[in-house]
Amino acid sequence: MYNIVNKFTIFFITGFLLFALPLRAIGQEKEKWNDANSLYAQGNYSEALQQYLLLEEAGYVSWPLYFNIANGYFKVQNYGHSILYYERALKLNPSGKDIRVNLSYAKQFTVDKIDRIPEFILTTWIRDLNYMFTSDYWAIISIVLFIIVALLLLNFRYGPNAHIRKISFFLSMVSLLFAIIFTLFAWNQKNAFNRENSAIVMNAVSTVRNSPDNSGSTLFILHEGAKLEIIEQLGEWKRIELTDGRQGWIAAADIEII
Amino acid sequence: MRYIENFVKTMYLKRVFLFTLFFIFVSVAVAQTTFSAQAPRVVEVGETFRLVFTTNGEPSSFDPPSITGLDVLAGPTSSTMSSIQDINGKRTESFQVSYTYILQAHSEGKFTVPAASVVVDGKSYSSSAVTIEVVKTNSGKVQDPNEQESATVTNNDIFMKISISKGSVVVGEYFTATIKLYTKVPVAGFEDVRFPSFNGFWSQEIGSAQNIDFVRENVDGKIYNSALLKKYILLPQQSGTLTIDAAELVCQVQIRAGKSASRSIFDDFFDSYQTVRKRVSSRPVTVKVDPLPLGAPASFKGAVGSFTMKGRLLTDSINANEALSLIIDINGTGNINLIEAPKPEFPASFECYDTKITDNTNKESGGVSGNKQFEYPLIARAPGDYSIAPVLFTYYDITKKQYITLSTKEFVVKVGNATGINASSNNGLSLGVTRQAVRSITDDIRYIQTGRLSLKRGNVFFFASATYFVVLALIIFFFVLLEKFLSKRVQRNRDIAGVRNRRANKVAKARLKTAGQLLKEGLYSSFYEELHRAILGYTSDKLNLSLSDMSRDKIEESLILRNVKEDNIHQLLSLIEQCEYARYAPDPGGDNMDKNYSKALDLISSMEL
Repeated sequence: MYNIVNKFTIFFITGFLLFALPLRAIGQEKEKWNDANSLYAQGNYSEALQQYLLLEEAGYVSWPLYFNIANGYFKVQNYGHSILYYERALKLNPSGKDIRVNLSYAKQFTVDKIDRIPEFILTTWIRDLNYMFTSDYWAIISIVLFIIVALLLLNFRYGPNAHIRKISFFLSMVSLLFAIIFTLFAWNQKNAFNRENSAIVMNAVSTVRNSPDNSGSTLFILHEGAKLEIIEQLGEWKRIELTDGRQGWIAAADIEII
Repeated sequence: MRYIENFVKTMYLKRVFLFTLFFIFVSVAVAQTTFSAQAPRVVEVGETFRLVFTTNGEPSSFDPPSITGLDVLAGPTSSTMSSIQDINGKRTESFQVSYTYILQAHSEGKFTVPAASVVVDGKSYSSSAVTIEVVKTNSGKVQDPNEQESATVTNNDIFMKISISKGSVVVGEYFTATIKLYTKVPVAGFEDVRFPSFNGFWSQEIGSAQNIDFVRENVDGKIYNSALLKKYILLPQQSGTLTIDAAELVCQVQIRAGKSASRSIFDDFFDSYQTVRKRVSSRPVTVKVDPLPLGAPASFKGAVGSFTMKGRLLTDSINANEALSLIIDINGTGNINLIEAPKPEFPASFECYDTKITDNTNKESGGVSGNKQFEYPLIARAPGDYSIAPVLFTYYDITKKQYITLSTKEFVVKVGNATGINASSNNGLSLGVTRQAVRSITDDIRYIQTGRLSLKRGNVFFFASATYFVVLALIIFFFVLLEKFLSKRVQRNRDIAGVRNRRANKVAKARLKTAGQLLKEGLYSSFYEELHRAILGYTSDKLNLSLSDMSRDKIEESLILRNVKEDNIHQLLSLIEQCEYARYAPDPGGDNMDKNYSKALDLISSMEL
């Protein structure tokens, strides 16, 4: 009997620890987060930044964390890292208005002004629409639409009269179309997130060469904070493209992937 | 001396007679008297050299220095020089007296010749002490002709060096870089001169010499003639290890032509020289530039050095719409030429115009020391008592290795009401309340996120996750389930209708049979009741309508849908009507009963529904 009680106690304590430890850890992080926020409020930006970075090192990911790290970097005038973290926050929360405002402000402190190839207006609209909500939202909306499609189809088959059946068929087809579009939106965002093909220049001055070695002739020079797309990798070099269409090779160490 | 005296005397006489003609002589400015000592800085043991004391005044006595450690071979011998120059009618006169010693060093070491003094016009002037370094013989064969027999010049004979005053600095900390040429051979000229570009630095050349003077200098125990080519003030603009590129130039070196076979006295006397081009380049120099420490206050704008700040208002009490100026003076050494204007915060009713910057930095020093003045012109637009917050200026102190923030006092301004002239004048300033857009005073990033922190480890997408697929599968599952259920129900409903349809004739016939019996018995109302029931039951079974749903319109509609002949529909409907009528209103004659009975039989058999 005593043995059984003992076993139960051990079982209970182990169970408690298993559940309680992560909770306690989260509690600690919350505290750190609040500490860092108050340090920032006092204007002790570098200290606050250290705290935020500790949280990031602990493996935590969230867009407010990245946003605050970026703000910290901005305040200590490290604009390259600031832009990197704004971009990372934007990746997690594409519709974040604060992030966009701060990112465009931080970009004013960078040297390079790279033109964009003018894009077909419809493409821009569709992308803006796509990034109005996060991937998760789109997935949920599409699932709700799938349910509606199913109900309408049932109504179409077993509706009380021809008129209602006609309407429900039409509506079900429209909903199906939207459900597919939204699913594509969700898929596209997830894909874009996992692709890891955007990067920010971290070096104050980096040269872009026309071949992946140091002897290649210099095509152009990028400064800290410039954004670029990675096309391919070869050893320690990455082939990159700017938004204005120019391409070249840059040392992998000079850039940081968003 | 005598010559000068005579010269002046004759001048004087001439002036007496031709006063106007030689008026210019009177106006010759008397130069300030100087007295200086000159000697080579480095000599070798056994070498004879000169030590010359020079003054431009006419000395009445010379107090020679006591020379120890060096042998005085001759001297002091005095010489006087005077010259008059007339260039385009501008006449300059110079006069010089010098005392020359011929000295010889007999041992190595550093020897200091103390100051000598002269008395000129009753005033005593003393020269500065001269230090002469004596090095070993044969080390520097500056004038050894045997050494220069070969027509080559080695890198030991001539080289260039960039020396920097500090090897490790922080961003923005200034230091000097000096480019010097060292040579043991005579140099006739330079060509193809290339100085470093100083990538990563802000550079400023200082004290550029018009002509190049060679000075003797001891380099590792050897005597070289050295010349200062360039001197720069450098301010590193970025951190890291920065490299100053090599300086390069081509020297035209004069070397003696090879020894002739017969060494006559003329050969010795008329040396034949030959000019050789020699490319000389310095070694690149690296400078370690550390970044400034983190945690700079917001008012830090890159100033490095040591500074003081003073601020003042030109007036502290004005009337509205009048101008005043805030003046900030920054003094000190460091990158003062690069410092930005501090940004004072003015009350919103003050209009601030473009800052006027007066740069009083010392040009000789390359702009690293001096004073910079910032003047902020202001116009007060509304009366009241205002205070301008202290102006902050932060710099990084190199010696203390920390950021130091200077602050002015708080400025208080009393702004009175607009005076009559200003208030009544309507040129430019409107008098009423002017509406204006809300101005952004400063632009800054938005504040950090403080609220929700949805900390996650890794980013998980709902899309294409297990849950997502389970939900999709559930939707399909329930769809199929509902579809099955509904289709079964419809099947069953259809069966009920089929049974009713199939049994309709039979039921109707049975009812008609009963009706026929009632007809025979002559039971008028019962007959019609049974007939009515037979027809209605038949229609409802055939059309799959419930009895409660039966109405004239509904029956007509359903029959039309089933393509029943219009004639039949009319007959059926009129029959139903007659039955209804006969049931409730007693019929006077029974003759219609037979007719209706046979009509009903006809209809039921002919209407193939």
